[in-house]
Amino acid sequence: MSTPSVSVESVTKRFAGHTAVCDLSLQVPSGGIYGLLGPNGAGKSTTIRLIMSILQPDEGRIALFGDSRNSRDLSARIGYLPEERGLYKKMRVHDHLVFLGEVKGIARAEAKRRAQAWLERLEIAGWAQKKVEDLSKGMQQKVQFAGALLHEPELVILDEPFSGLDPINAQVMKDIVVEIAAGGRTVLFSTHAMEQAERMCDRVAIVARGKLVANGTVAQVKADFGGRHVALGFAGDRHQADAILADPRLVARLDDYGASAELKMAEGTDPGQLLAALVAAGVGLRRFEVVEPSLHAIFVAKVGADPDAEPLPAVAGAAA
Amino acid sequence: MNKTLAVIRREYVERVRTKAFLISTLLLPVFMLAMAVLPALLMSSGDHTTRVAVVDASGSGLGQPVVAALKVATIGHGRAVRPRYDVTLFQATAANLAQVRDGLIAKAGFAKGNEQHGWDGVLVLDADTLASGKLHYYGDNVSSPEGMNRLQRDISKALAGVRLAHAGVDQSLVAKAMAPADMDTAKVTDGKLTGESGEASFALAYAMGFILYIAIISYGSRTLTSVIEEKNSRIMEVLTSSLTPFQMLMGKVLGVGLAGLTQMAIWVGTAFALGGQGPHLAGAFGMGAEAAGKFAIPSVPPMLLVVFLLYFTLGFLIYGSLYAAIGAMCNTIQEAQQYAVFVTMSILVGFMSMFGLINDPSGALGTTMSFIPLFAPFTMPVRWSMTAVPPLQLALSLSLMMLGLLTCVWLAGRIYRTGILMYGKKPTWGELWRWIRA
Repeated sequence: MSTPSVSVESVTKRFAGHTAVCDLSLQVPSGGIYGLLGPNGAGKSTTIRLIMSILQPDEGRIALFGDSRNSRDLSARIGYLPEERGLYKKMRVHDHLVFLGEVKGIARAEAKRRAQAWLERLEIAGWAQKKVEDLSKGMQQKVQFAGALLHEPELVILDEPFSGLDPINAQVMKDIVVEIAAGGRTVLFSTHAMEQAERMCDRVAIVARGKLVANGTVAQVKADFGGRHVALGFAGDRHQADAILADPRLVARLDDYGASAELKMAEGTDPGQLLAALVAAGVGLRRFEVVEPSLHAIFVAKVGADPDAEPLPAVAGAAA
Repeated sequence: MNKTLAVIRREYVERVRTKAFLISTLLLPVFMLAMAVLPALLMSSGDHTTRVAVVDASGSGLGQPVVAALKVATIGHGRAVRPRYDVTLFQATAANLAQVRDGLIAKAGFAKGNEQHGWDGVLVLDADTLASGKLHYYGDNVSSPEGMNRLQRDISKALAGVRLAHAGVDQSLVAKAMAPADMDTAKVTDGKLTGESGEASFALAYAMGFILYIAIISYGSRTLTSVIEEKNSRIMEVLTSSLTPFQMLMGKVLGVGLAGLTQMAIWVGTAFALGGQGPHLAGAFGMGAEAAGKFAIPSVPPMLLVVFLLYFTLGFLIYGSLYAAIGAMCNTIQEAQQYAVFVTMSILVGFMSMFGLINDPSGALGTTMSFIPLFAPFTMPVRWSMTAVPPLQLALSLSLMMLGLLTCVWLAGRIYRTGILMYGKKPTWGELWRWIRA
């Protein structure tokens, strides 16, 4: 196997009063899309900042491209979109992109050409001479996204790249991310949107409370989770089903959404038994399907909390 | 290096392009000119010939010599020379003094309209004047200290002459004895006359010190606000993953400095261009040739310019990096100002020390201060302009400045490195020390 793009080994980072990242190890192989999943406050951003050498680990070591130097020394090969978006508000959009390219070591003329190309691609070329502060939040995010990619880095690290974007813009960004990976480059991005990660990522790492919970290719993570899973859709009244779904001899875990549910069969039972029981009880079914577990279900099972629900106990200071 | 250039360019272009830059470039000279011209315009009321009525009630003929003394006083130089006073003598006695005086005072204050019988002032000599030196002046220009001093001097001279004559001293002897001293000063460097007047070269060094002071106060401190803006806009995280703290710090201080220099170059260039037109301009403002002479720009000796530019650059960089480090430590401008006071204080100490140096430029204080990098940019050019500074002292001072600059940039870089990503709380002194050692 070739050198991993990112290698995090037993890294621990403590802030005053709490541990943000605890003995975390992960390897991002070269090429493909790697998702860093977890609820708010799980330590995703801290992990990314550690990878970017913005923070220094208390224990453990981090290497990029097999090189343990500061990421700044390798910055020409890395593109970074921080969670906290920030641009010079008074600068003109085009000038700003050129500046971001230049500090990555691109010659000025080339940076100008690429900035123009990106603005056209993102359909904001008409705003090139406007000040950043005149742009909407979504447009600013596109500019910063382009700024992180202008120098065509081989490793792209995006912290929550799709948050705060409308579906159309999110789609544009997603296409770009997929295209980068298709070109053989590496993308590492963090998100708490499980469905999206499941569709895009080759590999994922799920973190919660600073610890690694699951790690590997999406198929691996699902296989490791094991069991047989059934997705249900109810037609009309479903209260007759409640007793059956609560029966531990049939159902090991239940992820109930009201009109639908995802469940894991108990050890040694067959989905056919469940179907028979439901039909016998007269439950109206819209859907009954034996499925792979969703990352969402795995996440809920492993972390014990809904990733989209309330964040885990609030984290103070710079650890957010 | 190219990255630092990119930062310099950004800082420079973004600053020069703002409306604030344009406005301050245009407005400051207007204010400066107003500050320079207005008092001169107001003072120059003393430059016209003053119509004085002298009422002589001394009974001893004191009026004649006083009038004579006032008549020889002149204003202006060369062709433009005019009598300072237009004097008319009125004889009075102790009995009708009040009547004559009040009659004249009633017409005082109308001379400006060129009215034939108007007076700028009425001077009253009574019987006591010769003995006690006491006399009265009633006029509309009594609040002009310059005019009153001059009048008093001229009268004192006349009184002294009369007293000496009464004491039996020969008139020609009196005239000789009363001839005023007229001192010209010239600066000596390395035992050679430089041909500069001491006053002019101090004025020059003082102006340079003032420029440095203005530059640091108005531009150096802008690195502080600029760092805080970057922290607040959270762009720091992108910058810090691409640039070293040294590149960010150097780029910022140099970019801001260049913007400041551009503005100064515009001002100084304009001043020189206008300086050539000084007399015409002064004429346009209704000032006499003498007042215009005050605006002539003295020629700068090349060595002084070199010394000044060296110290200016080093001083600006030292203070600029200190301000940037303070910005890195804090999250809000208000917070930063608490720390910035220390830097501002040392600028003030340096600036104020220039005045102390007038008396003793080579004394222990001046010498010591020119070895302290924070003060040397102010003291050294002044000492250089006023005395011959031993080359060894200059070399030592410059070396210490370089060392001080490197220390400041290193220190600031250390604080910068950690501080720029600290949001939220203010660091304690202990934490600051740890950042520097880390």
